[in-house]
Amino acid sequence: MSANYLVAQDLHKSFNEHKAVNGVSFTIRKREIFGLLGPNGAGKTTTIRMLSTVLEPDQGDVIIGGYSIKREAEEVRNLIGVCPQELALYVELGALDNLLFFGRMAGMSSQEAREQALAHLKLVGLEERAKGRIDKFSGGMKRRVNLAVALMGHPELLFLDEPTVGIDPQSRNNIYETIEGLRDKGMTILYTTHYMEEADRLCDRVAIMDGGQIIAMDTPHELKAQIGSPDRVTLEDVFLKQTGRSLRD
Amino acid sequence: MVQPRLVWFIALKDLKLFTRDRMALFFFVLFPFMFVILFNFLLSDAFVDEDNRLVFHLITLEEETETAVSHQIIAALVTPDESSLRPGEPLVIEVDDYDELRRQVEEKELGGFLAFPEDFTESLYAGGGADIEVVADPEAVYHRAALHGLAQGISSWIGAEYAVRGAIIELAGEQAQAILQSLEGQVITGEPLIGYTSDNTAGDIVAEQPTNYVIPGYLVMFVFFAAALSAEAIVRERQNHTLERMLASSVRRSTLIGGIFTGTAAKGLVQIIIFWTVGILVFNIDLGVAPAAVIILSFLMVIVSAAFGVMLATLVKTDRSAGSLATLSALIMAPLGGCWWPLFIAPQWLQSLAKITPHGWANTGFNKLMLFGADFADVGPELLALVVFTIVFASIAVWRFRTAAS
Ligand SMILES: Nc1ncnc2c1ncn2[C@@H]1O[C@H](COP(=O)(O)OP(=O)(O)OP(=O)(O)O)[C@@H](O)[C@H]1O
Ligand SMILES: [Mg+2]
Repeated sequence: MSANYLVAQDLHKSFNEHKAVNGVSFTIRKREIFGLLGPNGAGKTTTIRMLSTVLEPDQGDVIIGGYSIKREAEEVRNLIGVCPQELALYVELGALDNLLFFGRMAGMSSQEAREQALAHLKLVGLEERAKGRIDKFSGGMKRRVNLAVALMGHPELLFLDEPTVGIDPQSRNNIYETIEGLRDKGMTILYTTHYMEEADRLCDRVAIMDGGQIIAMDTPHELKAQIGSPDRVTLEDVFLKQTGRSLRD
Repeated sequence: MVQPRLVWFIALKDLKLFTRDRMALFFFVLFPFMFVILFNFLLSDAFVDEDNRLVFHLITLEEETETAVSHQIIAALVTPDESSLRPGEPLVIEVDDYDELRRQVEEKELGGFLAFPEDFTESLYAGGGADIEVVADPEAVYHRAALHGLAQGISSWIGAEYAVRGAIIELAGEQAQAILQSLEGQVITGEPLIGYTSDNTAGDIVAEQPTNYVIPGYLVMFVFFAAALSAEAIVRERQNHTLERMLASSVRRSTLIGGIFTGTAAKGLVQIIIFWTVGILVFNIDLGVAPAAVIILSFLMVIVSAAFGVMLATLVKTDRSAGSLATLSALIMAPLGGCWWPLFIAPQWLQSLAKITPHGWANTGFNKLMLFGADFADVGPELLALVVFTIVFASIAVWRFRTAAS
């Protein structure tokens, strides 16, 4: 087993009185696709925002690639790429312009940003539409650009927050393939979703979150094996069993 | 603390977004000109017809001797033949009863007049510069503005002549001759003095040019309005989730603020460049004797408006409150600061109140430079006031920025 690339320890975050994340700990190994599953409001996005140094935890720390998000946020930021749950793009600008801008924000030279931007657009199958304005794109295309932006700077660790929400099967497949390709090239990926079959297909290990806590964590196969024959049960059933509730309530 | 390169890229991006926004371009670049055209039309109409021709009354209290400069100046200015005047050109006449003129002004029969004092030539030679007295009815706005311009034009022209010739005059010991010759030169070449000064101030001021204050007024208003609306920019970055993306890639908040400030200032620069270019080419506005001062004033106005926009940005929480605060502040400060009507026609209390707005100072500065023939030094207080406003706005922004959580 390769070494742990990310170690999250006892993360807490409250908004007003509400505990959004309540004592979350987990580890992600290098070159692993780690799934964070859970229903709406489980605390997945809040967890990612803490891991990506955007939100400061009330308690707990995270070590990424040997750096603490609390004390060495700057170093951490150089290692990570973030694909937020919502589109984080300037829709009035072109796809390429968006990638170039965020490339420059990550400190790249103009030349470097351009090379990477074109390569990433190609990766998500949008090289033909490089100059097109985002607000003229379909939902799936926008999602792919959102992912491409996260790849600027070749991060070692990629946070993907529900990257396939609300898109057509074609774009979804493109995103799956892109993610698998990235993993094969050595990227470590944290992936959140509430599509259990998606997690089943992509993730090496998953953690199921509910109410700000992790209620189960293992390989999809092991989790399913705990409640029956892995071939017949789904992660959906695992969730139901753990919480007594259906996932999409 | 800030990252200068990133600040610049954020500013460029904002500028690009601005140029993509047709509504914004229309609203902040074209729309103001519609006002300008409208007001220019309404206001200039009052001047062009000949019955409303501006009449200048000049008087000198100096004795008429061969060396009395004021007599020479008046002779050069007086309209030789009224019937040869083109529409809009002023009529200049010499009068000789000072008390009667004063009475007429006091009883509002006359807008005002220029008077050369008894010791005009003497004080000119003494090196202290010459004072021309402007007696005007405060309510006769255009007349007053024109008289100021004329007086300023005369004195700055004489001042320049005097400075250039200073050395020669001392050597020759024939001061009077020197200045008179230069004045006669003007007359002899058939160029009346007023024609000469029109290159500087007097000529255009006496012509019907409401654009000279309408354009700066709307410039100030719309530059501030656009800057205030860029307070939305920071909220939009948050709502767009692009803020999150930037923060996750080492962009500091101070950098973002710096970027928004620079982008706003860049937008303001685009606005002033377009305004002045169109103003000069299409509306024939006159920047006055100190165009550099007009440019510096414009520039400071852009900086203070950008600081204002950033301050608003740090004060608001949502896009909507940013938008309404921007609109509200623009709609209150513009008329208060003399963007809709010239401050010099406003009652005294309103003129004082205008001083609490940067608009008021900027407009006063533009009016001084473009209507009253003021020089660089004369707008020192206005320039300084804008710097002070910038510091105040920026300090509030920095303070808010430091105390605002997340
Ligand atoms: N900025 C915030 N202010 C207040 N409450 C918040 C904030 N962000 C999240 N929350 C609350 O914290 C809880 C967890 O939210 P979070 O977005 O992390 O859930 P999630 O698992 O990502 O859900 P979803 O699947 O809907 O994206 C929710 O109850 C949410 O309302
Ligand atoms: Mg979420």
